[in-house]
Amino acid sequence: MRFEWEVLQNENPEPMALFSVFQTTFLLALLSLRTYQSEVLSEPLPWAPESLKVFINSTHQCLHLQWSVHNLAHHQELKMVFQIEISRIKTSNVIWVENYSTTVKWNQVLHWSWESKLPLECAKHFIRMRSAEDDAKTPEQSFWSNWSSWEEVDVQNSLGHDPLFVFPKDKLVEEGSNVTICYVSRSPQSNISCYLEGVQMQGEQLEPNVTVFNLNHVAFIRETGTNIYCKGDQGDSIKGIVLFVSKVLEEPKEFSCETQDLTTLNCTWDPGSDTGLLKQLSQSYTLFESFSGKKTLCKHKSWCSWEVAPESQEMYNFTLTAENYLRKRSVHLLFNLTHRVHPMAPFSVLFTDVSTTNATMTWKVHSTGNYYTLLCQVKLYGEGEVTQHNVSVEVDGEQLFSGLEPDTEYRAQVRCANANHFWKWSEWTHQNFTTAEAAPSEAPDVWRNVKSVQGHSVVTLFWKPLSKLQANGKILFYNIVIENLDRSSSSKFLSIPAPANGTELNLDQCSYQIHVTAHNSVGTSPASVIIVSGDPGNKEVEEERVKGTEDGFSLSWKPQPGNVTGYIVEWCDRPRGPLCDLQWKSVGPTTTSTVVSSDAFRPGVQYNFRIYGISTERVPYLLEKKTGYSQELAPSDNPQVVMSNLTSRSFTLSWKDYSIESQPSFIQGYHVYLKSKAGQCHSGSEKAVLSDDAVCCKYKIDNPKQKTFVVENLQPESFYEFLVTPYSSVGEGPHGAFTKVTTPDEYSPILIRVILPMVFCILLIMIICYLKSQWMKEKCYPDIPDPYKSSVLSLIKSKENPRLTIMNIKDCVPDSIEVLNKQEGTRKSLTETESSKPTYLYLLPTEESYSGPGPCICFENFTYNQAASDSASCGHVPVAPKAPPSQLALLTSPENLLKALEENYMNSLGEIPAGETSLNYVSQLASAMTGDKFSLPTNPPEPALCSEYKMQMAIPLGLASPPSSGSSSLSSFTLLDEGEHYH
Amino acid sequence: MGSCLDKYQELLGQLQKQADIMQHTSLLLDPYIQSQGLDKDGLKEHCRERPGAYPSKDALQGLGRWEFLRTLDTTLGHVLHRLTALRRDIPRAQDLEILNRAKQNIRGFKNNIHCMAQLLPGSSETTEPTPTGPGTSPSPTPTSDTFQRRLEGCRFLHGYHRFMHSVGQVFREWGESPSRSRRHSPHQGLRKGTSRMQLSRKNKRLLPRGQLPR
Repeated sequence: MRFEWEVLQNENPEPMALFSVFQTTFLLALLSLRTYQSEVLSEPLPWAPESLKVFINSTHQCLHLQWSVHNLAHHQELKMVFQIEISRIKTSNVIWVENYSTTVKWNQVLHWSWESKLPLECAKHFIRMRSAEDDAKTPEQSFWSNWSSWEEVDVQNSLGHDPLFVFPKDKLVEEGSNVTICYVSRSPQSNISCYLEGVQMQGEQLEPNVTVFNLNHVAFIRETGTNIYCKGDQGDSIKGIVLFVSKVLEEPKEFSCETQDLTTLNCTWDPGSDTGLLKQLSQSYTLFESFSGKKTLCKHKSWCSWEVAPESQEMYNFTLTAENYLRKRSVHLLFNLTHRVHPMAPFSVLFTDVSTTNATMTWKVHSTGNYYTLLCQVKLYGEGEVTQHNVSVEVDGEQLFSGLEPDTEYRAQVRCANANHFWKWSEWTHQNFTTAEAAPSEAPDVWRNVKSVQGHSVVTLFWKPLSKLQANGKILFYNIVIENLDRSSSSKFLSIPAPANGTELNLDQCSYQIHVTAHNSVGTSPASVIIVSGDPGNKEVEEERVKGTEDGFSLSWKPQPGNVTGYIVEWCDRPRGPLCDLQWKSVGPTTTSTVVSSDAFRPGVQYNFRIYGISTERVPYLLEKKTGYSQELAPSDNPQVVMSNLTSRSFTLSWKDYSIESQPSFIQGYHVYLKSKAGQCHSGSEKAVLSDDAVCCKYKIDNPKQKTFVVENLQPESFYEFLVTPYSSVGEGPHGAFTKVTTPDEYSPILIRVILPMVFCILLIMIICYLKSQWMKEKCYPDIPDPYKSSVLSLIKSKENPRLTIMNIKDCVPDSIEVLNKQEGTRKSLTETESSKPTYLYLLPTEESYSGPGPCICFENFTYNQAASDSASCGHVPVAPKAPPSQLALLTSPENLLKALEENYMNSLGEIPAGETSLNYVSQLASAMTGDKFSLPTNPPEPALCSEYKMQMAIPLGLASPPSSGSSSLSSFTLLDEGEHYH
Repeated sequence: MGSCLDKYQELLGQLQKQADIMQHTSLLLDPYIQSQGLDKDGLKEHCRERPGAYPSKDALQGLGRWEFLRTLDTTLGHVLHRLTALRRDIPRAQDLEILNRAKQNIRGFKNNIHCMAQLLPGSSETTEPTPTGPGTSPSPTPTSDTFQRRLEGCRFLHGYHRFMHSVGQVFREWGESPSRSRRHSPHQGLRKGTSRMQLSRKNKRLLPRGQLPR
């Protein structure tokens, strides 16, 4: 037996040194005493160890001792004990003492090994030994031989000349071990630092050039080992070692063996952690069976095969051993082979005699010997249900399934186990089968929607697809038979291919009975019958509100006193969509409430429900209407408000187009918010603070159908903002933009009411005057009578007085024209002259000016006949009107007149000096306006040659009355003689 | 060996790209450092190419084309040899896979070198690929000291990536200035054996003793 007793000087140096000295002293004293006793009491032992040799194994940090004992007789065997001492650094520093007992033979070479915890390269070691006869009876009286001489072990001498060494090289330890590392430096003065995976270690100096590091409980880091390295402060040289830390080899767990065919055993276990390293292979496993004495090296880490002995060995005692470089672990297993049968999965699973409700399943099992009975478990999955059967099987198994659903796929599975000694179930074997189809068992659920279009009924039939259990197969088509109840001989037949779920029928106003049946490949379903009455009989039913929840709408209705065969609740899943997606729910005649739920229900959508009762004649009639929201939401938008009747004190708001039916909740009314600078709220309103802390007046309208509101009590010429928003039980609409309005002042409307009619009246009068101008002219400015048409002529003619005749204007030859120049204000014409004296134009030759026949000058009376001015073929004397334009405007167009005047004037009298010329023509005849003064002359002048009096020129209004003085500015026209002038 | 591309520029482009890829340390060095636990301060700085282990960039640029290809082929042969030896220090399968992939890349690269050598004028006499058998290694023979061997492997891989970087640059110079240097001229091979032998002798002077092929 070997014990470990190692003293490292670096561990607690002072107490350890003291203890070592004391111990050494004690031992030396004891040895001296024994030596003395030996020398005194007897002769030295003749069997002292000799030829002691020490071998070094640096890899394992081991010292191998080899020696022999001489003087033994031939064939002599002697039980001896060898005491071995090992010192470190110096001989006096004994670190190990061990007594090695063995039987020594003649000429035998003895061996002993010692493993150092400190790498051997780190320090010198010294070994010596002595021997004694091993007397078990009186061991205390054994007499030791002399010590052999010290054998020195100095590995450092063979290291070479590198400046730095680190030991031990590539040491392999288990996780959690304690490891001692050292470095040997050739230059003790250099500062050496050592690191473990980059972390500096603190060491203790063993010798001046040797420092040791004690690593406790080293951990596994990686398969490639832990890097430990040292380097000097210069950093140029680095030396290190790799410490291979292995995970601790675990004992195999869950070791188990079983057989499927009684010829091969399959043993499995959980190997635990892999202890493989770069320097160490993963652990290996061997399987040993003690009864047969066979052993096999397993190829896999977690399982192994074992051939069952052909001699039908029943009992097996296995030892599984896990082993790596450092450790062995073993587990044992004893069992009877027949108790470890794990049958193979059944095979050849078949189904026979598969009908609509029955099927027979058969299967086979692998043979495990003639005397084994298997227990098989059969499970059948179908339509969400599982049924289980247990069957005892020797070779083939069979199981009958009954009560199956038609046209249904089933999944059957079977597994077996040893019936006598249950060990494990086999794997499942699965197989599917489908039962045969049967005729549909239920009538389709049918509903209708009836619309009257132009005297016809458009009936849309809907039916729900039969469930799988009801269809009993694939529905191929639906047959519809339409019977006219009013004319029993008339019926119609339709076949609608699946998967249609509705059709549209155009019927007249008669009553019809409609039969709907579903068909699969086997047969026909019962008929679903519904009556479409010619009289829709839709009575007005009050609509009630219902409150929905997340789970749906809970609807209830009053039970009908008469016989009903059931009720139908109808609604649209998508009431806002173009296709409302009509849904219905049928309940029995005793049911008067139901919960309608649908995945299509959305918050904020109003759903309308109609509840019909189905009479015994299968005629549906409307009972109740319900409406509601699955979840009410606050109104999302505000109405479009139109403002009207704006006065200084009020205005009217209206939102006629706002539909309360399409809102996300039941609208209960409206809030009218009014902002004003005054901030005062009159009766009927209350102050409200908006989200932006603005204060305003809020009017509340409780009636959702009231869509007008008059805002009153306003201030004239004031700025207001208003907002109309609906409210419901969950809140009101958004507080969006307010509409701005400013009231007008108070008097503008009054003024407008007065002035406008006045302007209108004036305009009316003017228009009337314009339209009656002819009348007024006749009244105020009568036409100048045509002398040729005068009654005087007829009178003259009647008297046949040849002397009395009216002067023809052709016979009138004016001899001169008096032109009066008058400076009048700032108004100047193109003919304005400097002279203010009258200018006389001598139209007839005078003594001074006449030199021959002159041009004829005629005068044209524009007032009298405007058209004549255009048609006149002779020269015109331009006349600048003296009368104001306003006065002239009543007679003729001033523009035309002026133009004509200017053109003729410039053409005919270019020599007339410029200046305002006023030509006043005085009629030689009578003027109706002048009364007596302008009465018809009794002595008409004789007409001059080549002179023509064509028409009378305009007469200024001022001349309508007698001139106030003789110094009038009127021009005199000399028509006859120079001295004869009419004024 | 498969058929060679007979288009010089295309083959040169391939060699450039391959060299550019192979210079990345992520292909070999980084996984090696990580698997060996050398990614620690105090160790990383010792994972540097040992001077003279591989031909320097200047030495490669000073070689004629033919000698350059020979040097490259021989050096990569030694690299393959060392990579094979490196397997013993790599226990994990995924790391071994990386190593094997790198070896396949090098073999493909060597094949392209051989093809390029055939395209060089005057290559008819010596178109056989350079033997890749054992020869002098770009790094000292691995020791039995695992730690030192680990460091040497790291230095070897560091040098390998640097070497491939230099090789890529030389190939790029080939493409940029085909007639810039007489030594790099594809027509240089027209001088046949005599010229090649002279360059071989010069090459020996350029390369570290015992590190590059003769």
